[in-house]
Amino acid sequence: MNDQPQRITLAEWDSRYAQLRAGGLTEPDYGGPLGRHVADGDVRLLKLRMDNSPAALRLWNFLLSEEDRLHRSAAEGKKLVGTMKDLGTVPVMAYSLDNLVAFYPDGAWWLPCLLGGGAGLLEIADSLGIDDSFCPVRALLGAFVAQSRFPIPGLLTCSVGATCDDFSAIAQRLESLGFPIVWWEIPHRRPPDAEEEAVELPGGFRAPAGQVAFVRSELGGVREALEAYAEQPLDDRRLAEGIARANRVRRLLADLRQLCFTADPCPLPALEMLIAEMLAIHFCSDHNETIHVLAGLLEEARRRADAHVGVLPADAVRLFWVNPVADLRVMNLLEDVGGRVCGADNMFCHALDPIPTDLPPLEALARMALADPMVGSAVERAGRICAEVQRFGARGVVISRIPGASHCAMEATIIADVIRGTLDVPAIEIEVPPLTDAIEPTLRTRLEALIEMVRVGRGIGDWGFRIAASHRPLTTSHYFP
Amino acid sequence: MICAGIDAGSRTTKVVLLDGDGCDVVAAGVVDQGIEQDALAESLLDRLLRERRIGRKQLGMVVATGYGRKLISSADSTITEITCQAWGVRRAMPEVRTIIDIGGQDSKLLRLHPNGTVGDFVMNDRCAAGTGRFLELLATRLGVRLARLGELAGCSRDAAVISSMCVVFAETEIIGLLASGVLPEDIVAGVQASLATRVAAMTGSNVTAPVVFTGGVAMVPGMEAALSVAIGQTLSVAPQPQLTCALGAATLAWGRLNGQSTPT
Repeated sequence: MNDQPQRITLAEWDSRYAQLRAGGLTEPDYGGPLGRHVADGDVRLLKLRMDNSPAALRLWNFLLSEEDRLHRSAAEGKKLVGTMKDLGTVPVMAYSLDNLVAFYPDGAWWLPCLLGGGAGLLEIADSLGIDDSFCPVRALLGAFVAQSRFPIPGLLTCSVGATCDDFSAIAQRLESLGFPIVWWEIPHRRPPDAEEEAVELPGGFRAPAGQVAFVRSELGGVREALEAYAEQPLDDRRLAEGIARANRVRRLLADLRQLCFTADPCPLPALEMLIAEMLAIHFCSDHNETIHVLAGLLEEARRRADAHVGVLPADAVRLFWVNPVADLRVMNLLEDVGGRVCGADNMFCHALDPIPTDLPPLEALARMALADPMVGSAVERAGRICAEVQRFGARGVVISRIPGASHCAMEATIIADVIRGTLDVPAIEIEVPPLTDAIEPTLRTRLEALIEMVRVGRGIGDWGFRIAASHRPLTTSHYFP
Repeated sequence: MICAGIDAGSRTTKVVLLDGDGCDVVAAGVVDQGIEQDALAESLLDRLLRERRIGRKQLGMVVATGYGRKLISSADSTITEITCQAWGVRRAMPEVRTIIDIGGQDSKLLRLHPNGTVGDFVMNDRCAAGTGRFLELLATRLGVRLARLGELAGCSRDAAVISSMCVVFAETEIIGLLASGVLPEDIVAGVQASLATRVAAMTGSNVTAPVVFTGGVAMVPGMEAALSVAIGQTLSVAPQPQLTCALGAATLAWGRLNGQSTPT
């Protein structure tokens, strides 16, 4: 059996799986060959190259079995909570109660990719007036109406305000269809005025104490809704325990990121790292299993790093990635053209930061929620990105836009300008729709060009200008015969 | 040994051959692009070699670039058109800091560091309104050759305003303007200004001089002036602007042949 780290196709995974099983691989109850997910409709897997480790197998199976897990939880009498738009706050509260299972209906934004098209979900959104001028997350409307993807939760929460106007419109449309939502507002984070009391937030941000108090009050309303739904009190003791468990996930992720973004050669592919980070938002509907999955990935990454082996060539160009991609295939593409991801801001960095444990729990969660990079200015977000680029030693930055999403129409350009101005590191913008097959050549050109720029920038191309010095530059007269 | 650069663009394929010193262009040619991109490129390469009485064995290194670069079977390596364009322009105009390239189906802006390396770039390949496709459509609609557009634009006294941001809708506007009796020369001037404005919007306010204009559209009379107005700067058209990218590819091929590391 070839245990060398590599990215393999789904077909290669089939034979790899058989080998692993024959070698004594044990799996959790959601395990099995990855190919079975294609039969369930996840045809995009056929276009991906995935890490060949058992830890990655477990990650993929965990991700792709979430719907089964939700149905099973509902059948077992657990109460489901759909936590919309919020990236990592309400799930921490929900999982503090032992009979609630939180999930992230917005995860439907990857369905158009995984299913190789809309599978009718986008058409439903179209028919409801939410057309393709909106973010692909509109697929969740189809998922709710068709009731074909996940069980309908008994409670829906949604953050609104400074988060995303697209999503607010989509969620409001959902509510109008008879799915009541508990709304909680998050204001646009701003720097405190001179005379205002300032509060330090995770991630190095600051906000006026009044804004933190407002968010705490809003989360208090969510707490009441969760208590009523769970028929259990959500007191500070339970919340503190829930925060401690969430922090365990965040610590694992922090270790995984630090190792995989800095080790040479790269221990784990960008695709698996993206999915691993996504687990921080809502624990893929199983908090305990999330810990096992991440611990397995970390162990594999450490094993590879210790053995000085990896999935990419040692000279892969170190790049920082901004925003999650609607088409997972693009993470493969980046590596195919000679890059590797060394750092990422997938819009939810605050869900990766430790939640403060020296504060009353709701205050800590309020501060964490207000540290969401998407609720502050694009310049503030760019500042955090610059710090991360430096921390992980990235040599270039890819800013990936999501078609239709409009957190800030100029956000990508602002971030790119700040990066270039602050770090003198090249930054490019790309736009990634759910299926990129038709535009892959142009995406490839942009990514390859960035990699060429970095390689030239570190000296490989200096010879060209020695030519110019030692040979006369071509002139018009002898330019062409 | 001879080095070749092949630029397999969206509308045309270009080939440049450099001599053994990497300093003289010994042959260059252009053919329209087609479905059989590799065959077209090979045919052009063969023709140029034959005309110069150069045998295939004398061909030391081939670098392909452009949209179809991955399809060129004779290429020893591929490099993007971003990098090749910069290197091609720098061979003839080392002082250039900004390149505006408008091709048949895309447009790009390259900002160069003082040492000639690419600092950053912006590309438009999703909207035809900032590309040569807009001019092709106009020429077809007016029933004139592309080469005559500049001559017509030069006769304009009152350029029409094309307000649409989309070529499809702009065509509707052109039809409406013609029906309203607006002179063809005023429509041509309006379309050139509209195209230039689209490209200028892509460049933003940060255009460092000297600026050079490359790509097939740079050969259309009137576009240089329209673009200069739109960006608020003087600019020059590169010598043989359609061929600079292939020249850059040939230059990089020469470097690789001579043992220099290249950005691939």
